[in-house]
Amino acid sequence: MNPPTSTVRRPWYRSRTVRRFLRNRLAVVALMIVVTYLLTALLVFGGMITLDDTEARVSAGSIPALFQPQPPEKRLEDCQFWLDELKKALDQTDAKAALGDVQFGAVDVASLPLPELRETHEQARRLDQSLAGYADLNDAPEAATKLVELEELVAQLFPLPEGLGAVQRFIELSLGTDRQGRSIALRATYSIMVAVQIGLVTAVLSVVIGGLLGGAAGYFGSWVDGGVTWLYTTFSSIPYLVLLVLIAYMFIGTVFDGTLFPVYVAFCATFWIGPCRTIRGETLKIKQLEYVQAARSMGFSQLHTMVRHVLPNTTHLMLVGFSLNFIAAIKAEVILTFLGLGVKKGPSWGIMIAQSGSEVVNGFFSQIAAATIFMFGLVLAFNILSDALQDVFDPKHV
Amino acid sequence: MEPILSVRNLTTSFKTDDGVVTAVDRVSFDLMPGEFLGLVGESGCGKTVCSKSIMRLLPEYTSFFSKESEILLDGENLAFAHERVMRKVRGNRIGMIFQEPMTALNPVFTVGWQIEEALKYHTDLKGRLRRERAVEMLRLVGIPNPEQRVGEYPHQLSGGMRQRVVIAIALCCEPDILIADEPTTALDVTIQAQILRLMEDLRKKTGTAILLITHDLGVVAQVCERVMVMYGGQIVEQAGVNDLFHRPQHPYTKALLESIPRAGKKQPGKRLPAIGGIVPSLFELPPGCRFHDRCPIGQQVCIDQPPPLEEKPQAPGRLVRCHFPLDEEHRAERRPA
Amino acid sequence: MWAYSIRRLLYNVPVFLGILLFVMGALRVNDPIYGFLGKNASEEEYKAFQEKAGLDKPFWLQYAIFVKGVITFDFSTESWDQPGLSVGERLRRAIGPSLSITIPALILSTAVSVVVGLVSAYFRGQGLDRTLVFIAVLGMSISFLVYIILGQYFGAYVPNRYFNREVFSIHGYDGWSQLNLPVDWAYYCLLPVVISVVVSMGYDTRYYRAVMVEETGRDYMITAQAKGASKPKVMFVHMLKNAMIPIITRVAITLPFLITGSILLETYFGIPGMGQTLISAVNAKDFPVVQAFTAVFAALYILTNILTDVLYALVDPRIRLA
Repeated sequence: MNPPTSTVRRPWYRSRTVRRFLRNRLAVVALMIVVTYLLTALLVFGGMITLDDTEARVSAGSIPALFQPQPPEKRLEDCQFWLDELKKALDQTDAKAALGDVQFGAVDVASLPLPELRETHEQARRLDQSLAGYADLNDAPEAATKLVELEELVAQLFPLPEGLGAVQRFIELSLGTDRQGRSIALRATYSIMVAVQIGLVTAVLSVVIGGLLGGAAGYFGSWVDGGVTWLYTTFSSIPYLVLLVLIAYMFIGTVFDGTLFPVYVAFCATFWIGPCRTIRGETLKIKQLEYVQAARSMGFSQLHTMVRHVLPNTTHLMLVGFSLNFIAAIKAEVILTFLGLGVKKGPSWGIMIAQSGSEVVNGFFSQIAAATIFMFGLVLAFNILSDALQDVFDPKHV
Repeated sequence: MEPILSVRNLTTSFKTDDGVVTAVDRVSFDLMPGEFLGLVGESGCGKTVCSKSIMRLLPEYTSFFSKESEILLDGENLAFAHERVMRKVRGNRIGMIFQEPMTALNPVFTVGWQIEEALKYHTDLKGRLRRERAVEMLRLVGIPNPEQRVGEYPHQLSGGMRQRVVIAIALCCEPDILIADEPTTALDVTIQAQILRLMEDLRKKTGTAILLITHDLGVVAQVCERVMVMYGGQIVEQAGVNDLFHRPQHPYTKALLESIPRAGKKQPGKRLPAIGGIVPSLFELPPGCRFHDRCPIGQQVCIDQPPPLEEKPQAPGRLVRCHFPLDEEHRAERRPA
Repeated sequence: MWAYSIRRLLYNVPVFLGILLFVMGALRVNDPIYGFLGKNASEEEYKAFQEKAGLDKPFWLQYAIFVKGVITFDFSTESWDQPGLSVGERLRRAIGPSLSITIPALILSTAVSVVVGLVSAYFRGQGLDRTLVFIAVLGMSISFLVYIILGQYFGAYVPNRYFNREVFSIHGYDGWSQLNLPVDWAYYCLLPVVISVVVSMGYDTRYYRAVMVEETGRDYMITAQAKGASKPKVMFVHMLKNAMIPIITRVAITLPFLITGSILLETYFGIPGMGQTLISAVNAKDFPVVQAFTAVFAALYILTNILTDVLYALVDPRIRLA
């Protein structure tokens, strides 16, 4: 069966490739998800959430996500947290200034006169102590009313903000807090930017390096090909995590330690191999085609022919390589971070997941769930996207 | 004489990304016992789909037959037969030869193993007897030194040898029908002639009816008794080989015949005529007669009404799908294509 | 056959030398002695240490010594972090625990993935196939670390806490000596093995499905069917033997990932295998151990590569006689 032959030139957005892609509804959804992630990353990059926001305590520690009801013990504990924080400030010599510094995300200390604050605090303390008398808070009905009373007092001391502040507060607590009382929602969102940054830098650099080396190897052949083949066989013969570890080790104690630079170097050193291999193969094929021979016979230089006539025809492979490496980088970040060699400053999904290991044992799942789901969304969308790309460019690929 | 295989209204369609396409459209023919029948057409006209349909070798989930399709073998309709029934038919009642001898054999099994496999499914032969039968088959298809060849792998054989092995596999269970799908296309001309002669010999020896599918009219002329010409998924002409070659009725057949170079018929300065236009895509079949836009004598009625495949009064015993079948006068004059 | 194997061996020699060169070079970018002794080490301390470790020799000589050591299995260099233990001794202790997880994981994941891939290819385009492919993509989108954390939780903590039963151990495994019965192996190693299998299944299944689907389109499949072979027979006899080459390739490719996985698993489960030893050596700046272990990892990988080539020849008659 011959495909319908038409000589009409269509604009690129109506080309067969794009139409094939758009027909895959799942891939279009995935593309939209990826774009949403990228936009979020851009907003974070633009200052929507700062590093300080992610490090700041917004509430008591280990509050579960989605405002789930909590056992009375935990509620009492949370009240104690707020009272302790207030006490710390009240005990300062310059209590007024100290109170001004107390802030938990969108929540401030109530703007009451100092004596009134002290009075309410004392009242709450007494309630707290009386509650300590109960062996089991679940059994005593009067304990429950006392707990509600205590919570109301705490709410007087730390009133919920209104308007925009209320929205901010809602977002801060929506996914709960980690053990240090930091907002999981903010940290997970900030990590989108970290992940996108690592993914983009790694994917772009590795595809460029791999593409150039692979293209040169395929195009020039002889010793260039020998050298590049040897190089990638060598690199791919070192298990990739060992290679990552080795490169991360190279940077321990240098000025780059603590930055993302070692991570980029390690990832690029590992991930250039895939695109290099495929592009070398494709170049070998393209080199035989007439139009390349024609370009050569017209007197263009080797380099010009390669860059202008051969490499552009491997764009689809670069695109696929890009999306594969993007995913690989994001996933490798988690592993490297867990081993203590990856992201060291600020939050990242790797740091969150690594941290949540000890929380899961205690039955606290909010952090691992948040980090996993955020990452899952991006990686899944990219996986579907790269499948769709491979389908579009190479229908025989399955 | 009763036909051994009778195909009626065979319509095979495929589900594709771009919608449903019908590759074979209401094809009907009879195959007589011991007959050598040819099926000719350009590539993409549906010949191979037709042969695979008879064997039910098309992908299960993307292809389907129309309800009225019938492939009658011993009164049973194979088009809708159970897979179990088909397994008894394939290799046993109907053997098949393929176009690409280089890839048709499984590269990781020996030639002997592959012949024996067919014997295993359809005969009671076991062990040494089965191996002997495989050697005998290799000898029958003219492979020298069969005792040694039987233990070799396909890549150790030449293309012609491999095609002989494929024929041996197809014939080892003595089928009533052999479907040969472009059996000589991938071979050198000398080997082609050998393979054709082999098929002709085997047909005489075993009485197997052969359905030969090819795009090569020369091949048809050498061996076939009766020929069907296929175009755009339909049969457009059916006739005895002599009638067809000397008195083609369908303009397409005529054009096909004219596009073969002939020895001894010198026409200096004249170019070999080619058929204008291209084979229609099955996705965009023209209305009416499928050949009308390439036809030198096409008229308005050809666009409005699809012609039926029928016997014309002036030419009994043969079928043609044309509103204006060619007669002697038409054949004599040459029209610009 | 022998000539072929030896040719493959020779082909890998420059690759191996290259790896050693890279490993040694990478480890010297950042002075390993200052790394270990700290930035404030005095000149004399530094000199003494350098001489003891043989790092004062020119690079090419160190290289030659190291290559000789690896080739003759001479790992008598002393570990910096654990004085008194040679690198070889640490390697010997680590290899058992590693293999008791890696090998079963490799066998199990390959077997399961091949079967799932075959089933998926068999039902190509149907509901079951689509579901399997989608699950594989879902599975690939979750981090290895999450699998480990949740695996430990559901495998060890949940039975412990809610059923008061210790099904799997998550620490305390340190080698063959504990494995007297198969049950012991399951107690210590089954959980990490299962996690490892689950993680690799997404990738493997998709790959094997692609291989099988590619093979389904081959002419010999039609020939076999035209002979009257049933579909399962065609798939399991004709196709599987042809698919052995991509399967073997895949196994060889999976190996470094298994090592990767074992680094994570060992670290998390506290199994003193090669991966964990390497990571703790990196953290302790134990230069000779890092150097030797990376070299051994690479050597193992290259050996499996050669083994792969030889297996190809066994499976495919075309290579055997080439």
